[in-house]
Amino acid sequence: MLEILALALLAAVLSGNLCGAVGFYVQRLKITTLSFSVAHAALAGASLGLILNFDPVYSAMVFAISSALILGFIFTKIKYGRELVSMAIFSASSAIALFAIYMSNVRVLATASIAVVLWGSLLAVTVQKLIILVLVLILFALYILAYRMHIDSMLYDVKMAEAEGLNVQAHMLAMLFFAGVIISLSLRLTGGFLVFALLYNPVAAALQLTRKAYMQLFLSSTLGAVSASTGLVVSYALDWPVGATIAIVSSTILLLAYLFKTATEMARKRKLRNVGGPGAI
Amino acid sequence: MLPLESDIVNLERVWVAYSGSDKPAMRNINLRVSAGKLMLITGPNGAGKTTLLETCLGLLKPYRGRAYLFGVDTRSWRIREARKMCSFVPQDFIKPPFEAYTVRRIIQLGFAPYKSIFESLTEKENERIQWVLELLGIEDLLDRPIGTLSGGQQQRVVIARALSRKPRALYLDEPFSSLDREGRKLVSKVVSEYVKKKGATAIIVSHDVNPIIKYADAIVRMDNGEIISGDCYA
Ligand SMILES: Nc1ncnc2c1ncn2[C@@H]1O[C@H](COP(=O)(O)OP(=O)(O)O)[C@@H](O)[C@H]1O
Ligand SMILES: [Mg+2]
Repeated sequence: MLEILALALLAAVLSGNLCGAVGFYVQRLKITTLSFSVAHAALAGASLGLILNFDPVYSAMVFAISSALILGFIFTKIKYGRELVSMAIFSASSAIALFAIYMSNVRVLATASIAVVLWGSLLAVTVQKLIILVLVLILFALYILAYRMHIDSMLYDVKMAEAEGLNVQAHMLAMLFFAGVIISLSLRLTGGFLVFALLYNPVAAALQLTRKAYMQLFLSSTLGAVSASTGLVVSYALDWPVGATIAIVSSTILLLAYLFKTATEMARKRKLRNVGGPGAI
Repeated sequence: MLPLESDIVNLERVWVAYSGSDKPAMRNINLRVSAGKLMLITGPNGAGKTTLLETCLGLLKPYRGRAYLFGVDTRSWRIREARKMCSFVPQDFIKPPFEAYTVRRIIQLGFAPYKSIFESLTEKENERIQWVLELLGIEDLLDRPIGTLSGGQQQRVVIARALSRKPRALYLDEPFSSLDREGRKLVSKVVSEYVKKKGATAIIVSHDVNPIIKYADAIVRMDNGEIISGDCYA
């Protein structure tokens, strides 16, 4: 059991890290709605894998990557309709997921594979999946480092980057692709409905805590790893569902970050008032 | 490399519409600008000036007619190669206070399209950035986060980025909007000198009277999506 826990903990740290990092880029590139549909497509894929007897992680990946590519191409062709297409994919995917769960036999509800779709499972992590996670982490880091200038230019101003001849579409596609792969791999741990907690909460918290882009990236991936591993340990100790516990931890971190920011803002204003008070001029 | 074309921009009976709008934003526009020319485009708000500039760069595509940049159809995938020779100063350049990229980084990022993987700027390119900043009088802002600068300072920074890339064509959308009188004079002088010395082309959009007018080779007036007066061949 300890061995399984150690594996799961490693996977949690890696998934949290990756989700936090990709969440940062998705947020800065303003493709959050697109990634939202990619995540739901992954969920649909996982649930179909469930009734068709595939490994849900791989069927999730097929769905997530295809929807990422579709959305990426739509992004290049039409500039204004993509939110709508995105929403259509999102609702259709959720429907497919629920249908699949309904159609799959109720007695499998307790098995590890349906847990992947619904609430995540500690038992679902294998050495093989861990190796894939490490590989994806290396690939993503290489991509970010290799194209640092190009990606930075897009984070700063997409329109200027495009006008200057940067291949904006290819990088958007690459980012959505990584989002798809990372989401599918994290489903194991969090379950399909709560993967967003790991994708969006860490970056939202990081944005409260610092203004520097690289610090935001670092904090976002760190908070992702902290949320996932803490959530895992708590869920193990209290026998709670993993995904929900991770979601609660990451939401708590976001709330604390928000409170921290509000408090420091208030302190700053008070200090300014005292310095510039009557008689100061 | 792309073939050397004497026409930097060539629009042939171009119509452009925004999606969701049933009225074209630009109707039947013909425009030709050759190397070494400075063209000023004026007209009231909503005339279609921004639309025209973005169509030249291929950011907006015509639904009727053809648009060429350096001889490349803007609908072709090779348009990216043509854009690499261009610099663009957008109309909405102001960043919110929390934007933390420094002036140095922002200008360096203009070189991104010329760089392959893992590559960063050369010593010479960094020296050029320094030189352009001094030209525009903002060399002391180098390490300031962009969000902490005033609108006028931010505008000089994007103009510095545009010039640092050594473009063969400059597209400036309302580049004077946040500048004071001195700033307008300085930017007009720097841009026109760049055009003359490098044989580069500049298309400058401005809705009000400004000092660039005395350097312009052609002035085009737009209203209601059409060119109503001026020389559309420069
Ligand atoms: N994103 C948009 N969607 C729909 N209509 C637009 C959009 N941008 C501009 N327009 C319309 O296109 C016309 C031309 O706009 P624009 O080129 O921005 O004018 P200018 O730059 O001369 O002020 C205007 O009527 C404007 O309302
Ligand atoms: Mg305009």
